[in-house]
Amino acid sequence: MNRLTEFFSTDWQAMTAVDWSGLIIVSVLTSLMFALYYWVFRPKNRDRFERYRDFVIHENDDFEKEVGHGQKK
Amino acid sequence: MTDNSSGNPLYNMAIVKAFAICAVVYLVVGALVGDLIAWQLSFPALNFDEHFSFGRLRPLHTNAVIFAFGGCPLMAPAFYVVQRTCSVPLWSNRLAWFTFWGWNLIIVAAVVSFPMGWTSGKEYAELEWPVDIAIAVVWLSYMFNFIMTIAVRKNSHIYVANWFFLGMMVMITYLHVVNSLAVPVTMTKSYSIFSGVHDAMIQWWWGHNAVGFFLTAGFLGIMYYFIPKQADLPIYSYRLSVLHFWALMFGYVWLGAHHLHYTALPDWAGSLGAAVSIAMIIPSWGGAINGLMTLSGAWHKLRDDYVLRFLIVSLAFYAMSTFEGPVMSLKTVNALSHYTDWTIGHVHSGALGWVAMVSIGAIYHLVPRLWKTEIYSVGMVNSHFWIHTIGTVIYICAMWVSGIMQGLMWRATDDYGNLSYTFAETVVAMHPYYVLRSMGGLLVLVGGLIMLYNVIMTIRTASQPTAVPAHA
Repeated sequence: MNRLTEFFSTDWQAMTAVDWSGLIIVSVLTSLMFALYYWVFRPKNRDRFERYRDFVIHENDDFEKEVGHGQKK
Repeated sequence: MTDNSSGNPLYNMAIVKAFAICAVVYLVVGALVGDLIAWQLSFPALNFDEHFSFGRLRPLHTNAVIFAFGGCPLMAPAFYVVQRTCSVPLWSNRLAWFTFWGWNLIIVAAVVSFPMGWTSGKEYAELEWPVDIAIAVVWLSYMFNFIMTIAVRKNSHIYVANWFFLGMMVMITYLHVVNSLAVPVTMTKSYSIFSGVHDAMIQWWWGHNAVGFFLTAGFLGIMYYFIPKQADLPIYSYRLSVLHFWALMFGYVWLGAHHLHYTALPDWAGSLGAAVSIAMIIPSWGGAINGLMTLSGAWHKLRDDYVLRFLIVSLAFYAMSTFEGPVMSLKTVNALSHYTDWTIGHVHSGALGWVAMVSIGAIYHLVPRLWKTEIYSVGMVNSHFWIHTIGTVIYICAMWVSGIMQGLMWRATDDYGNLSYTFAETVVAMHPYYVLRSMGGLLVLVGGLIMLYNVIMTIRTASQPTAVPAHA
């Protein structure tokens, strides 16, 4: 066994319930991370995200509407 | 609640004003206590009595800057941003004021309990169990109000800044509750339900995530709203912001184990923490680049805009500390850096450079808008910027040099394997850098005082009636 296979060797029989739950959580989250990168960077989805780039720029800046700073009905 | 004449919502800005004022006051208080304990380390004779000794004031400093100064700039912009981006007022004004008074009472409890020596001994969570319960209740009131405001929003889209705020609220809730689980013995003493290495792991699971969620995610929410708003430019890439958010949420919770290299913690857990730390450079730098590149083609704005200067420089510090942290988590680097002042330098490059500067920028953005006036003195803001920046650089450089020297002296051995230096000799060697650190902290405190004066004068100017010319 070379050093790399030795490093990655696992005693599957010795895995406890905690070990398995940890392994499953890490695997699921890693898969979700890959899915996220694919979803976000897929060219088809570009416009769907980027249309919100200027969301705060078009916000209404008219502070006159804040009569009484919200304290009076 | 709507203004019938215009059909526009009546935002609650009084709560934002209250939290903004508190933030500036707590910046001064936190920096004052921090600089005092820095001088105490330089000159131990300044530890006058037990109540005001380094051991008791240090948790007061960390809690003051994290939860008082850090908490108020999180709550003011969160309540401001959620109202404006959802086009609705806060779901409950009463709940918002409950959050305000509750949070401030908790801070008062910290000010009383730490000098008295009432502490659970858990770093960044030293407050005893009655206060821990109060924190959970007040924090939930903050989160519930925020969620309900989003729930009744008029816009279909939930802006990314709100995602960061909400992520921070959810994560801090369960981190705080789990880390604070304890068996009370008296009103002022409890013991953690965890023991041994489990206690250490839970402690650093909380400790690092207090940094990752309280001091990073929430402040990224501030960044994603205030930089495009102040620059009047669209965010560089909305896709990157979505990736930044989810990668941060998925990744950050795994990092805590890198604080426990070479301890009783299983080796694989520390390695996992280090590996995920390295992976986090990608979203962190993605976020920093996203903020910085928002100014692409408009860098000249930095020349005139005093608010943008704080916001953009904060991102430079964010990028620097989110590179330095993963490097320090590598076992070979950690073997040198752990338990040394290098860690203190790293923390303060994030705290003073990133968290404080983005908060200060947001408050300088908010104050003229909330009080509908101009800032009292732009010159003072510019002075604050340079004094704070120079103070921060002096502080972190002093700690880097001190920490690396400390680590090298600890590990130095002679030809026979004997330690080359005694512990006392390392302390003597660090003394000049401790004085330098105190000077850097003093500059940050002076900057805070300038800001407090400028904000007070801005508010006073705004409250004075405008002179009306007399007609003959």
